[in-house]
Amino acid sequence: MKKQYLLLIITAVILGLFSTCKNETSYKTLIITGQNNHNWQASSPILKQILDETGLFSSEIMITPKTRGDMKTFNPDFSKYRLVVLDYNGDSWSEKTNNAFVDYVKNGGGVVIYHAADNSFPAWKEYNEMTGLGGWGDRNQKSGPYVYYKNDQLVTDTSAGTGGTHGKRREFIVRTRITDHPITKGLPSRWLHGTDELYSLLRGPAKNMQILATAFADSAAGGGTMRDEPMLMTITYGKGRIFHTTMGHADEGGGPSMQCVGFITTLQRGAEWAVTGNVTQKVPWDFPSAAGVVLRPDFKEITMDQVLSNIGGYDIVKSTKNFTYLQQKIRSLAGDEQGLSDLEKSMVKVLSSKRTTVEAKKLLLRELSWMGSDYCVPVIKELESNVDLKDEAEFALARLKK
Amino acid sequence: MANKSSRRDFVKKSAALVAGTFVLPQIIPSTAFGMGRRIAPSDRIVIGSIGLGSQGTSNLNDFLKLKGPLQFVAVCDVDSKHLGNAKEIIDTANKNKDCRIYGDYREFLEKEKLDAVSIALPDHWHGLIYSAAANKGINVYGEKPICRTINDGKVIVNAVKKNNIIWQTGSWQRSLFNFRRGAELAINGRVGKIKYIEVGLPDGNRGIGTPPVMPVPPDLNWEMWLGPALKVPYRGVSHWDWRWILDYSGGQLTDWAGHHIDIANWGAGLEHTGPVEIAGAGVYPVDGIFNVPVEYDFLCKYANGIEMRVVNAARLPLGMGTTWHGDLGWVHVDRGDIITASDPKILAEVIGENEIHLYKSDNHWQNFVDCVKSKKPAIAPVEVAYRAISIALLGEIAMTTGQTIKWDPDKQEIIGNNRASHLLSRPYRQPWTLPTV
Repeated sequence: MKKQYLLLIITAVILGLFSTCKNETSYKTLIITGQNNHNWQASSPILKQILDETGLFSSEIMITPKTRGDMKTFNPDFSKYRLVVLDYNGDSWSEKTNNAFVDYVKNGGGVVIYHAADNSFPAWKEYNEMTGLGGWGDRNQKSGPYVYYKNDQLVTDTSAGTGGTHGKRREFIVRTRITDHPITKGLPSRWLHGTDELYSLLRGPAKNMQILATAFADSAAGGGTMRDEPMLMTITYGKGRIFHTTMGHADEGGGPSMQCVGFITTLQRGAEWAVTGNVTQKVPWDFPSAAGVVLRPDFKEITMDQVLSNIGGYDIVKSTKNFTYLQQKIRSLAGDEQGLSDLEKSMVKVLSSKRTTVEAKKLLLRELSWMGSDYCVPVIKELESNVDLKDEAEFALARLKK
Repeated sequence: MANKSSRRDFVKKSAALVAGTFVLPQIIPSTAFGMGRRIAPSDRIVIGSIGLGSQGTSNLNDFLKLKGPLQFVAVCDVDSKHLGNAKEIIDTANKNKDCRIYGDYREFLEKEKLDAVSIALPDHWHGLIYSAAANKGINVYGEKPICRTINDGKVIVNAVKKNNIIWQTGSWQRSLFNFRRGAELAINGRVGKIKYIEVGLPDGNRGIGTPPVMPVPPDLNWEMWLGPALKVPYRGVSHWDWRWILDYSGGQLTDWAGHHIDIANWGAGLEHTGPVEIAGAGVYPVDGIFNVPVEYDFLCKYANGIEMRVVNAARLPLGMGTTWHGDLGWVHVDRGDIITASDPKILAEVIGENEIHLYKSDNHWQNFVDCVKSKKPAIAPVEVAYRAISIALLGEIAMTTGQTIKWDPDKQEIIGNNRASHLLSRPYRQPWTLPTV
């Protein structure tokens, strides 16, 4: 293991313990990792960060013995936790640990199955009932049916064949199939996901399972099944609730698949649902649409203060997305007088700053030209004498009829 | 004024004569045949063209196909490549080298003594050039959407009416059988009382990021291409791709409003009014200079209770086209001669003698020429075009503000919303000014 990851994980565990002490009301969460054909050293701390960011969870990362290590030493006390997140695809656990996990779920424990965790334990019957669908690990018709959508119809397909494949990584549209589930309520019907593996041909017991969202595996990227493959699932097992996301293939730093606001949000909402059966979190304002991927490189929801601060140093060639965020924010205020007035003041502040680039000022003037009030007029009038900004200032004043 | 429009007056007078006494063509003396295409001066319509990109050239070719009395004499464009190409087409048709070329529409309109002009420009130029042509008394074949903003539209409608010119909008679907038939079935109650209309328009374009600033091609007058729009450096986006930038267009939504929304209005008797309430949401690109909505979905409510949903086609079961839903069924029309209904019996219905028979035209360009001669209104008049694009522009405002917009279709004003009202215009960059309404 690379040193920096070890350090990161140790820090994460310490911080996790610390925050547990601090916040008694958050749900204690255990992230299990340590063996995976994926970069678990990158993904597990990110999963922790994403969950803890909500303030609802305090997560700890537990690392199993290495491959072919002594699994008898892996004996988590599941009963201490409200949520177990599996970022694990490796050796079988001991029978004792398996039984403890089954008891935990049966008694109402929450579980998140993340990406390749649905590859794990092909022979463990109870586990496969919890994941609903899985792939690889010699899964075939004996594992259960393929389940997918075809022409908008849910298909349970018992035909023979191996389970699990994916084409080349690409961005893809995720479609919400059940819109009134607590996890998906308020999400757009279609949104573009950051570059990821599109898990396909998953098969399994599929008992007590709902497919919340799918993605069409076209053949353009290779390996396409031409089916709408399950991306987000919920499963109940005993009294326990399981949220299964097939997305989030980890690169260094998470990469677009984990940085995607769609991945982050559905994970956060799915985790809460797994614990309580409800979701109290608001859909974030930067949730993507089908028009473009929205990433959070630091896994934190970007605030309007940050957006406005970014706009100050705006360089159109680098990115226009901070302006997209600003416009999105204006739309989301939907005429809320106080909100728009506060935002106008912040925009005027950036507009007045000497540090703000000309390009940024031009774009701010365009927005103020319609959503501005008397408040912005004196500052805009001053800009009329600026050679670079004269046209935009006149445009804004004419539109505001000032 | 009389000295510069004698030929036009001649056409007007002879048209009045035709309308009054049904003069047969052979009465015109054969000695009066013109040059090249051998047109009698009494029948001749002198026409020019402004904007000769893809749509302008397409219109030019459609006009040249007519066996009519058109004589193309001049073209105007800000791209000399377009000019060269159009001049060659016209000179070939006229069998001479006489087609004159202009880079500035003001000079073009001033020097050429035109009876008619065919105009196909980016939307941000429509307000100025349509009203300038109308104010010169020239009959206009103008591309849809007829305006970029509601304010531009009002000016254009006013100029056309004031000058009493013949106006034809490039809403050519009106001149196709299936659209007229669908609209006629709808307006005559064959689907019952119309309750709800669905209009499916194309899905939007995905972004291209932000290309670097690059040298303006020597053929292109970039300053003139921008005209009244805010100045931006050239990034290789001008012809065709202006459609994806809000400064010049509202995207597929406004491009297609003049087709399927126009047809929807035709069949529902909404051609001379507008909605009273508009609400909806768009999906906008996250990054890059293309910023028109790539998905859109909004609902317009009318005073008479009809609702019209305008939406990108991917979200509709029937996809593209117009569907009138009444209390007895539905009729759907789309390109490719498509006309379908909830019950095939509806499609077999005969429209009785005393029922509404919609304006019939079998060739959109011929209809314009015929109307220039007859002085009768063309099939796609200006106010009707303005009402069609208004729906898309109000939808754009609802999506931009995130608000439900209240609209007074008579006064043509947004009610009780200053911010949204600001979006009814796009002020012009100096030295350009739009004539007041």
